[in-house]
Order: sequence, then C-alpha cells, then structure tokens
Amino acid sequence: MSLSHEREDDLVQKLKEAFPTDIKETNIIRRGRLEVTVAPEKIKEVAVYLRDKLSFDHPNGVSAVDYNRENRFEIVYHISSIRTKEMRNLVLDLKESVPRNAPKVGSLVSVWSGVENYERESFEMFGIQFDGHPRLEKLFLTDNWDGPPPLRKDIRFPTD
Amino acid sequence: MSAPSKPVPLTTVESTETSDSGAQTLTLSVGPQHSGSGHMRLIVEVDGDIIVNVAPDPGYVHRGIEKIIELRNIIKSIPVIERPSIIDASNLNHAWVRSIEEIQGVEVPLRGQYLRTLLNEMNRIMSHLYWLSIYGVFLGHTTMFMWPLGDRELFIDLAEKLTGARITYSYLVPGGVRRDLPPGFAEEAVKRTEYFEKRLKEYDRIFFNNPLFTSRAKGIGVLSKEKAIELGCTGPTLRGSGVDADLRKDEPYAAYPELSFEVSTRPDGDSFSRAMVHMDEMRESCKIIRQIVKKIPTGPIRRKAPIVLPRGVAYGRVESARGECSFYLIGEGGDKPYRARYITGSYRNMAAIPAVLIGNRLADMPTAWWSIDYWPVEADR
Repeated sequence: MSLSHEREDDLVQKLKEAFPTDIKETNIIRRGRLEVTVAPEKIKEVAVYLRDKLSFDHPNGVSAVDYNRENRFEIVYHISSIRTKEMRNLVLDLKESVPRNAPKVGSLVSVWSGVENYERESFEMFGIQFDGHPRLEKLFLTDNWDGPPPLRKDIRFPTD
Repeated sequence: MSAPSKPVPLTTVESTETSDSGAQTLTLSVGPQHSGSGHMRLIVEVDGDIIVNVAPDPGYVHRGIEKIIELRNIIKSIPVIERPSIIDASNLNHAWVRSIEEIQGVEVPLRGQYLRTLLNEMNRIMSHLYWLSIYGVFLGHTTMFMWPLGDRELFIDLAEKLTGARITYSYLVPGGVRRDLPPGFAEEAVKRTEYFEKRLKEYDRIFFNNPLFTSRAKGIGVLSKEKAIELGCTGPTLRGSGVDADLRKDEPYAAYPELSFEVSTRPDGDSFSRAMVHMDEMRESCKIIRQIVKKIPTGPIRRKAPIVLPRGVAYGRVESARGECSFYLIGEGGDKPYRARYITGSYRNMAAIPAVLIGNRLADMPTAWWSIDYWPVEADR
C-alpha cells in the first residue's frame, strides 16, 4: 500500500531522538497502529515522555503474551490520545520483554492509573510481577485458586 | 410474631474498623448475588452512610474466553466471542472479524459493510434498552422496567428477520455477513424506528423529566473529564463526562463514514449525564438505521476470506454499546490465533466504579453505579 505514514514516522522520530539507546525496535504495522519496544528498565521514562510530551493520555489496555518457545513474556501497553483529537485514531503499543523464568517489571500505574486492573490480570493469568503496583492481587480468579497462571502457553485444558 | 430475642446478625457486614481520624467505618459486601450488583461483588466501606472506599471484586462469571479462542479455529470462535455480552453480540463480533480482516488484508464489500452497521446499530438500541430497564427497576420505577423490555422486542424481531436469530447472531464473518436483507425489511425498519422514537418521547415524559429520577441522578456520582480520560474510560461513560470520543467518528469503520449522525455528549459527568447519553444515542441509532435502509448499495454481501490467520498482528476495535471493544490479535499462520487479547467496554469502565461511588451516600449507589452500564459478564470474559 502506498499510504503515507507521516504521523507515525514523526512519532518514531521524536521517540528515537529523546531516547537514542533505549528504543530497541519500532514498527509501523499499518496506518494508526504503531509498535515501540523498549528496555524494561526504561519503560517508565518513555511512558512519562509519551504522556507528557506526546499527549498519550488514555490507556486502552494491557496485554501479556507468552512466547514460551523464545522463553520470554511480552507486555504490551495499548495507549492512545483523547485530548488531541486528530490522534484519536492512533493506538501505540508500548512493549517490553522479560525472561519467562524471572518475570518482574515495573508497574506503570503511577503513569496511567487506568492500567491497574490490566496489570493485575496479567499478574494472575501469566504470573508477571509488577513492581510498585498498589494492589497486586487476584482479580478474576477465585481466592482459593492455587494452580499455575492459566493463560500461559504450557497450561493445557483437558479437552485440548 | 414476637421479636427475636437477639438481634439478627447482618451477614453482609465483614468488619468494623477505626480509621486514623477516629471515625468508625463499616465494610459491606454488596453482591455477588444479584442485589443490584450484577454477577459481581463490590466491597464497600462506609462511614455513616457515606461511601469512603470501594473495591470491585469481579470474576464470578469469568470463562477464560481468551484461552478458549487460542484453541479454536477463528470461525468457530465467533459464537464464543458473542457470549460475554449477548445483548450487544454483533458489536463484539464486529471487533473480532475486523481484527482478523486487518491481518488477512481482506476488504469487505460495501453492501456487507452497510449490513454490519445496520445490525450494530440495532444492537446498540437493544443493549441500551436492556440497560434502561435494569436502571429503572433499580430506582424503583417499575414502568421503566417493563416498557424498555417490551420495546426491545421491536428490534429483536427485526434482527431475527435479518439474521435468523433473536439475540446471538454470529452474523458477521470474515469478509462480510452471512445473509442479505429479506424482502420488505426496509419498510418494516422505518415503521419500527419511527414508532420507537415516539416511545422515547414517552420515556422522557415518564422518567427522564421526572423529578423522582432527576433529583436522584443530577450531581450524583460525578466523574470528571480528566479522571475519565486518565482511567481509560470509554463509551457513554466517557461521553457523559464531556468528551466527544466515539470510534464511529474518530476512526470511522464499516459504513459509518457515509452516514450522518451526532456524537452525544453531556458535560457534567454525573449519573444524569450518562443516562442522557444513552437516550441520545438511541435516537441517533434510529436515524442511522433509516439512512442505511435508504442508502444501502447493491452488490455482494461477502467476499471470500481465507480460513487461516496469516502471520501478523492487529489491534481491531469498534465502538460497542458500552464503548471500545478491541482485540489484540496475533496470528502465526495457522487457523487459530497465537494470542487473542479481548478488552471490552465494561472491563475498561470497571476502573470508574470506585471513582463514581466514593463520596456518595450508600443509598445513591444504584443510581451512580448502574449509570456506568457495567455488564459483569462482558468485563469478566
């Protein structure tokens, strides 16, 4: 497709200028969809920059993905902007990777308070620890659930 | 009948605590039996009758749908995806097929897009009517329970004519829709929407302009614009706080770019504003339905789409009745997705529940809470 991605390119450019070494990878998936992978130890700084300088004020959700063959988890923050009207059709995926055997990252609740429930869900369903989360407890699972985190790839249903 | 010798223990009371200021607070468990809570529980801490803290406790209707989808063919997942909110089934279905089509690169024919939009808007009305009937009965207004549920049949019948099913349609498939318009549908749709608009005026008269409702809803459960944005609220909850965000306008999909309608917003952020946004949206949906049956182009309703999900990633989203419904979908070339993250409007608005309740009186809880239109099944997935 020959659609131009000026706005997306511009965002990538600004991020790379602000964080020359910490942005590991960027990828424009299609118009209005953009992936930015950062080092886990720098994600909070990048998040604050996105919120304060680039107007990403609205968390749309957080996804965790289990890449068990590569022995890592990926945590994806889907964020967008409401205040800047012309940016409302853009969703930026802010991604970080953690090793599967030591899944511990910093929480971004202090940056976007709306991610609290999503991080809790990633904690219970994948066993990812979010440092600095105000209430890292089970959300959907029952209190007496003592099995493994059920959305991990190596957990199978009996019917599977 | 003689009075019991000992006071009956209040089983819902969990504990009493003394706060730092010396005030005694009481922790109540509201739900998960449907005491006006839906199938969830709220742990509410009150000081006197003022709510000082709220912790939502969802999960009573959690089905692990994200895991189920990972194990199924993308087409077989469609009925599963509709289940979290059967009253808004086609909008959830739309988010799913939209994300699949983004990865597949399949374009839907224009007539198919119009038919999708038609069912989506009928679903929006049906969902809002269901919400309204529950809202009415929570506030002790039995008529407002009976009327919307009765009028909802107008659209259920119409949807049945179009899709063959009353509630869960599985109508949208990758590439288009399953069935074309039946004969005589346009006339029937115009007749029914015009009748329904008259009914909406009666709703206004009996409920929305009724001091019994306005005095209980105005200024109650205020959610500021800033808070609504920061918490990631969406749909009528966000628009009730004065934000004109609506994916049908902001990221136009399906046939919405060709249709004229207004985004309903209210500036105050209180329960009344959120309720009125629902009312306005039903009026706009009626207009959209009439435009669709008038303007719908001829042509194919479906293009052949592969049954596999190629390698790729998509974040497909639509404006469902309760706000943005999205899928973060990862394909790896098979007929099943590698990961399908499912985020619904109710799940996102769960963050608003403490924000609208804290500081209000316990007696105002139904008014404030249900104005968010939180659907526990949709949130739990």
